[in-house]
Amino acid sequence: MSLITTAPRSDVDIFSDEIMAEPYPAFRELRDAGPVVHLDRFDMYAVPRYREVRHVLGDWESFSSADIAFNDKFNRYMSDFSVLRADPPLHDAMRSTLAARLARRALREQEPEIRRRAARLVRGLIERGSFDAVADLARRFPVEIVGDLIGLREEGREDLLRMIDANFNCFGPDNERTRDSFPKLAKVADYVLVGATRENLAEGSMGRAVFEAADAGAIPVQAAPWLVMAYVTAGMDTTVNALGHCLWLMAEHPDQWQLLRADRSLVPQAFREILRYESPVQAFGRTVRTDWTVEDVTLPAGAKLAVLYGSANRDERRWADPNRFDITRDNLEHLTFGYGLHACAGQALARLEGEAVLSALLDGVSHIQAGTPVRHFNNILRGLESLPVTVVPN
Amino acid sequence: MEHAGIERLLVDRNRCEGYGMCQQAAPDLIHLDDEDEPVIDVAELSAAHKPLANAAVRACPVAALTLSGPTAH
Ligand code: HEM
Repeated sequence: MSLITTAPRSDVDIFSDEIMAEPYPAFRELRDAGPVVHLDRFDMYAVPRYREVRHVLGDWESFSSADIAFNDKFNRYMSDFSVLRADPPLHDAMRSTLAARLARRALREQEPEIRRRAARLVRGLIERGSFDAVADLARRFPVEIVGDLIGLREEGREDLLRMIDANFNCFGPDNERTRDSFPKLAKVADYVLVGATRENLAEGSMGRAVFEAADAGAIPVQAAPWLVMAYVTAGMDTTVNALGHCLWLMAEHPDQWQLLRADRSLVPQAFREILRYESPVQAFGRTVRTDWTVEDVTLPAGAKLAVLYGSANRDERRWADPNRFDITRDNLEHLTFGYGLHACAGQALARLEGEAVLSALLDGVSHIQAGTPVRHFNNILRGLESLPVTVVPN
Repeated sequence: MEHAGIERLLVDRNRCEGYGMCQQAAPDLIHLDDEDEPVIDVAELSAAHKPLANAAVRACPVAALTLSGPTAH
């Protein structure tokens, strides 16, 4: 094992429509090729297995997030006040400001209202019987909930998801999707940095709190608008995709739906399984800070990594029968929200939204039938464009 | 790293955000109080506790929980 070899190589394009339509066979090939695999088309290394994904995410001192996007232009655009890119101590100051409002303990007060709103939305859909799970449910709920929590004005919200979709595309490598999306960043900047200023954010909101943290000296003044940016860009589309998958997976696996109906204590575990099975965030970047030896390969300092969350969650080395959707499996350690320093700051909220929707469905629906889903393609996110469903009331 | 002597669960209170995964993984060793602050219920871990303690450490999404011997900081 002392012989240093070079990493296995692959010319797969994990950002192509073709692969993204059905990424799991390609992920499996990458996992089988090695713990790190050079992606020839992008001059970076895929990290496809559970063990190394967890290792990389868990060690920010060895793996930097400064290059979290797969192109330099967007990394620079996000500024040094991007919580995703920052290191401690700046990271921790920004993170504490977010956590003061997003941690589970902080969300307790919001929980009943979030549940009420999920129930209201879902009741309306049950009355209709047939609807589009993406347009009428998944895309509506998080924008309403997170938009109100951030304190955004109603005006312009209808364009938000399109803007955020472009923003996520800009994390991609220099491909067509990334290039087409760059011009749309001006709209995002206009909405958030110009439009969502302190005065325009509702009093008492999470957005306002960020400016108050700057007043109190907890974070640099310049960081405040970028934290509002983080809330807006990270907090909606990700959950949209999770909710779309939720309806789809429950329709595709009626046995699991019936199991859940019979035992509602499985709701948290079921939502985690939805997250494990179809990870909304598929890849983010890291940079090796000091030479990293993994098995018999050493990657030099400066090597770029593509951390594959969705692949880690299907790694047969970690999960028994990983391609089986099983709401009773032990899935506490899924990596859908990342892990460690940069682990999703909004995971308690995402879970709350998902569990509220699942519970509302359980209250009123005995069977979910789905038509053919249409996939939505994004460089980073995995999700659906549309999913016609019919629900049978209890 | 191997530590001689007794091992303990340590919480980094600056990183903990109260997700409660540790409690789910090892309810006999750790629980969240009314404020979602973790409380370590077994101060000194025996060999029999080790698997559960490890599970709790692994389950923490923000890596705020570690296992440490008395000599570590
Ligand atoms: C199912 C829904 C969601 C998924 C799958 C998801 C996924 C992720 C992932 C994978 C990361 C880690 C990035 C890394 O490793 O560098 C992350 C970070 C983050 N997420 Fe989420 N997220 C979701 C919902 C939310 C929500 C609802 C919010 C806020 C309202 C949010 C805010 C954030 C923030 C601020 C970060 C940066 C944390 C840091 O760098 O310290 N996310 N998310």
